[in-house]
Amino acid sequence: MMMKLKINGVDKLFDADNAPATLAELLAQMKIDEATVVAEIDGAIVPREAFAAARLTDGMTLELVRFVPGG
Amino acid sequence: MDELKIADKTFSSRLLVGTGKFASNTVMAEAIAASGSQVVTVALRRVDIENENDNLLAAIDRSKYLLLPNTSGARDAAEAVRLARLARAASGIHWVKLEVTPDPYYLLPDGEETLKAAATLVKEGFVVLPYMNADPILAKKLQDVGCATVMPLASPIGSNQGLKMRSSIAIIIEQATVPVVVDAGIGAPSHAAEAMEMGADAVLVNTAIATAANPVAMATAFKLAVQAGRMAYVSGLAAQGIMASASSPLTGFLRNP
Repeated sequence: MMMKLKINGVDKLFDADNAPATLAELLAQMKIDEATVVAEIDGAIVPREAFAAARLTDGMTLELVRFVPGG
Repeated sequence: MDELKIADKTFSSRLLVGTGKFASNTVMAEAIAASGSQVVTVALRRVDIENENDNLLAAIDRSKYLLLPNTSGARDAAEAVRLARLARAASGIHWVKLEVTPDPYYLLPDGEETLKAAATLVKEGFVVLPYMNADPILAKKLQDVGCATVMPLASPIGSNQGLKMRSSIAIIIEQATVPVVVDAGIGAPSHAAEAMEMGADAVLVNTAIATAANPVAMATAFKLAVQAGRMAYVSGLAAQGIMASASSPLTGFLRNP
């Protein structure tokens, strides 16, 4: 079965064999350094310490944000 | 020592700098160092999930600089509060430069939404530094809900027009019980010096440094201008008058009566 996640406004489909089980796995798969990221799952902030424990399931909406230059 | 105190922190520098618009992180880091600033602003945006992402924080030594996340991009109070909470989760600090700018052309702040967001964030334990129109009544309201500073704009963000709101800023400075940080529109060191001479507690500069031909030297120029302006304010500026007032003696002229 496919898993669908909406990540930063974009729908992403994952095959059953490579569907990330946790937020930490997703970030690793996407080659995003988790130390630089903060996340929301379905509107709730996930603290960085909880990335490895944050389970992902079909239909979730994720926001991954980071600091960028700004005034 | 003439230090700037915001909330529970003291700073020897009265120049806050933004990190936007620099040609590279290397130039940014050098310019920040040259500015002598101890507070640097950053923004929060979505990770680009298709491309590699620059790690801004690797370029900012957080043992030397206090990171001040902004809520830029927020169009109302709810969006600003959400960004502030995310920024706190990302940085581990509870300071926020509150910006609510629904109008994308002039980027002027929405006072009503800013006030609403400020009240919420203060209750949640944030140290709130609100970007605002140079409106003395709003400044009082923001101060009353517990903001750590007020940050009136000199002119629109990035416009480099200088202290167009001078007379209103003067009233804000006169009334404020929290530090007044003049933010946005400061385009030249002379503008920064002028704001400091008026009695502003600090200024925040980004575009004028980042987009200068030589950002590092310009950062130094701003550092000196802020120091000069502050020193002039503390020294008590001499009075202005309409009439001339001779600096040389009016006696002993080499002429006959």
